[in-house]
Amino acid sequence: MRVLTRKLWREIFNSAGVLATVVVIIMVGTSSFICVKSAQRILETSQEAYYRDYRFADFWVNVKKAPLSAVKRVADLPGVAAVESRVVFDVILDLPHVVEPITGRLISAPTRGFDETINGISLVRGSGFSDDRNEEVILGEGFAQEHDLHPGDRINLILNRKRESFIIAGTALSPEYVYMVRGEGDFTPDAEHFGILYVKEAYARKALDFDGACNEIVGRLVPGAQADVDLLLDRIDRMLQPFGVLSTTPRSRQASHRFLSDEIRGLGITATVMPTIFLAVAALVLNILMTRLAERQRTTMGTLKALGYSNRQVITHFLGFGVVVGIVGGLTGIGLGISMSYGLISLYADFFKFPQFLFTTYADLWIVGMIISVVFSVAGTIKGTLAVLRLTPAEAMRPKPPARGGAVFLEKYPALWRSMGFRSHIALRSLLRNPTRTLSGILSTALAGSIILSTLMMYDSMWYLVDFQFEHVLRSDATIGMRDERSRLALYETQRLPGVDYAEPTLGVVCDIRNGRNARRLAVLALEENHRLTNPCQRDLSPIAIPPQGLVLASKLANILDADVGDRLELTPVRGRRRTVQVPVASIVEGFLGLDCYADLTYLSRMVGEAAAVNSVQLSVNPVRADALFRTVKTLPNAQGFSVRANTKGNIESTFIETMGISLGMMVIFAGVIAFGSMINLSLIEITDRQRDIATFRVLGYHPSQVAAIFFRQNMIVFTLGLILSFPLGYGMVVGMAQAYDTELFRMPVVVNLPVIVWTGLLAFGFVLLAQWVVYRQIAKLDWLEAVQAKE
Amino acid sequence: MADSTTTVPQAVLRIERVSRIFRMGEVEVPALVEVDMTIEAGEFIAILGPSGSGKSTLLNMIGGTDRPTSGSVWHEGHDLAVADDGELTEYRREKVGFIFQFYNLVPSLTAYENVQVATELVDDPLDPKDALEMVELSDRASHFPAQLSGGEQQRVAIARALAKRPELLLADEPTGALDLTTSRSVLGILQRLNREQNLTIILITHNAAIPAIAHRVVRIVSGRIAESRINEHVLPAEEVSW
Repeated sequence: MRVLTRKLWREIFNSAGVLATVVVIIMVGTSSFICVKSAQRILETSQEAYYRDYRFADFWVNVKKAPLSAVKRVADLPGVAAVESRVVFDVILDLPHVVEPITGRLISAPTRGFDETINGISLVRGSGFSDDRNEEVILGEGFAQEHDLHPGDRINLILNRKRESFIIAGTALSPEYVYMVRGEGDFTPDAEHFGILYVKEAYARKALDFDGACNEIVGRLVPGAQADVDLLLDRIDRMLQPFGVLSTTPRSRQASHRFLSDEIRGLGITATVMPTIFLAVAALVLNILMTRLAERQRTTMGTLKALGYSNRQVITHFLGFGVVVGIVGGLTGIGLGISMSYGLISLYADFFKFPQFLFTTYADLWIVGMIISVVFSVAGTIKGTLAVLRLTPAEAMRPKPPARGGAVFLEKYPALWRSMGFRSHIALRSLLRNPTRTLSGILSTALAGSIILSTLMMYDSMWYLVDFQFEHVLRSDATIGMRDERSRLALYETQRLPGVDYAEPTLGVVCDIRNGRNARRLAVLALEENHRLTNPCQRDLSPIAIPPQGLVLASKLANILDADVGDRLELTPVRGRRRTVQVPVASIVEGFLGLDCYADLTYLSRMVGEAAAVNSVQLSVNPVRADALFRTVKTLPNAQGFSVRANTKGNIESTFIETMGISLGMMVIFAGVIAFGSMINLSLIEITDRQRDIATFRVLGYHPSQVAAIFFRQNMIVFTLGLILSFPLGYGMVVGMAQAYDTELFRMPVVVNLPVIVWTGLLAFGFVLLAQWVVYRQIAKLDWLEAVQAKE
Repeated sequence: MADSTTTVPQAVLRIERVSRIFRMGEVEVPALVEVDMTIEAGEFIAILGPSGSGKSTLLNMIGGTDRPTSGSVWHEGHDLAVADDGELTEYRREKVGFIFQFYNLVPSLTAYENVQVATELVDDPLDPKDALEMVELSDRASHFPAQLSGGEQQRVAIARALAKRPELLLADEPTGALDLTTSRSVLGILQRLNREQNLTIILITHNAAIPAIAHRVVRIVSGRIAESRINEHVLPAEEVSW
């Protein structure tokens, strides 16, 4: 080993403590990159493989009822590679151990080769359909697990107005329901209250009265046709118009796919932002550390140069510190990142159901991880080294001129200055004479604070969103979906059900809404006059009454359509005669989930050319008699879906408590690493630089805690300034995050609450206190007798 | 004792009208003013002067660790005053050995390794072991500077300077931090190296007693050479006293 290499290793070993704090920050940065990026890759490749192997559809067309001959015509369209027809129906499930009725989605599947169809299903348990029995289902695996159902068990459902009992022939997964949501508007998977049931195709057609017909067409495109899918769907829409097209959905707008893809995209952003923050802080701290190291080794550098070492040799030697710190941080970060990625994926496994996650070793990511950690680390080392290297050997060998000892600007205000006492004077002078060091401290604290603040704010945002959606907008206790559109008679029937205090009808109609070039197909929700159970709200939570005419749009929809209050939109119901009418935008409301659009019930009924129709009823339920209601709903022949607001809300809350809790913990630890790591590092540098001062104080009779108090004062000034800066920074991060995650399915409200600010301060302060404790230990440990005698 | 009379003098280095001005903010401080000097092979020169007189600055010009503001430093036909960093590095590496008042050893390296710092630089160095042998420190080779006395540290520094087989040995107050007995031994080593290996040595000191061991004494005052005289009665180092 060359002698300078030996010197490097010994010095790294001797300052292991200080370097370790930087290594940890780099490790966290690199591990977050490896973890998030690996998870992103794993999700992405698992998604690709799953979609490919099980032929995930490129488009869906839902119709009221179309003959199979029409399906054949769709198959013949240019760009279409294959189509299949299915019968899909939502039904009410009756599980003996669950009081509430549960919504199930019945999907027809061939008896044999159901894994070879479009959206093929992969059997997890059981043997699949038998040849002899008709009443068999293959159950979604998530639902089966949630309710402890096994192949061979029985399950009851209301099918075509009759209660039927089915044997579970197996459990399965499908690429259509990787993320288990009913559709747009749901945003957390709910395997407990929503299940998928595959039934034999022949049986479904017969039982549901679909002989020679279907109500859903799924298709695959030929390679290269993806770009024109919208044109193709328009064409199919026109072609199948006589059969009542309810919706056409390209893959890009399929709910499960969108959630999965949005998540993968979000991970990509996180994989860039988080490591950048950590590695930047590491570079900052390393810069201070190396500037000081280079200054302390000024004479050595000068001597080496005097001996005949070239600038290149000297700089290579000193950059070695950065390289070693980068490599150690990189290696440990990669190791940690890999194991963390398994943890993250197991977390994702609760949300995204794949037959298997494709874990691969991503050597390229490790290389990139290593390169960025070394690059940031070397970048942090270079400045300090160059500063000393620029001196001639003769200058470098002279001891550094004494630190500037002049007055700092605050001393221009004698009254103020004198009022502060000498401890503050020491702290302030030290801070103002080392501006780079002070700024690094402030910036690191600000970053740590902003990470805590933004995480807590996002946590609050979710609670706000749930509260907004399930306490203010949606106020019904339960909703019953009808099999068909019914007259108001259905309302009166419902009102008479046991336990129903009050009932309100709604009508959902799929419509095309167009404003010039901007258009969307979505369900317009019609509410009765004087509606009480759905209250579209503005941002300040004030409810908006649906006017007798015109549409009420959620702000996101208004943005997409580029529409404002008073603008006239073209509205075409996707049913019946499809007559296009001009409707005004009556008002714009807030909405964080999906694209809400409301209208008056009579107004919309008139537009679709019917007397007031109803396809779902919202209920206010007397809690004491809820069970009676649930039992009755299980027997209702016309009910197709049932949801309980408390369940939906509870599911979202429990999902968030779990996942946000984990990420909150992680982020606070990460922020702690930054705050603690940088603060301790800067303090240790300060202690080394001021050993003689500390020793002098100790000789004078000061207790270590009294000396530490001076450092505490100094750190508190840095902490306070950093914390103040962290508020706008954290707020900006949340706003940026809200913009990054602003999708048609979901928006994140930005809310600021006082407790969040207080908690941010307390948590950050906790980390500073921890650092202060180490400072105290160091001061107490210092051999001050030696320090006071040491030669400068 | 002086052998300059028995060999044909050959100039190792020639300094012509060298000035060095330091700028400290608005103020210009002349450290050297138009100095002329010739150093001949095998000479042992002592540069004497009070602190701040410019003697260290002059040594830096000779050693190629700094450049003059004006004037020339001629070495083997090249002017070091206009040499680039690479050429100066090459010059220091191949031709010059340095000894400093505070030894400037690398604290994290042993005595042996401190010598290696120099031997790894050149093609045909002494074995570090031999270099330490020459300063009678073989038994301390594995000690770190903090475990050595001042005199021992300075001997390591001499071994480090010697190990490169330099043409010129420059010693900047080599006994400035040492007591009389240790100083005598360090000076004795220098004198022996000069005598036995014909090594050209330039030593700077503010101690008026030390120049007695040199062939030539150059006295410098306020950046100018006030006197340059041949020492007719070179004193053995062990007889130096102050």
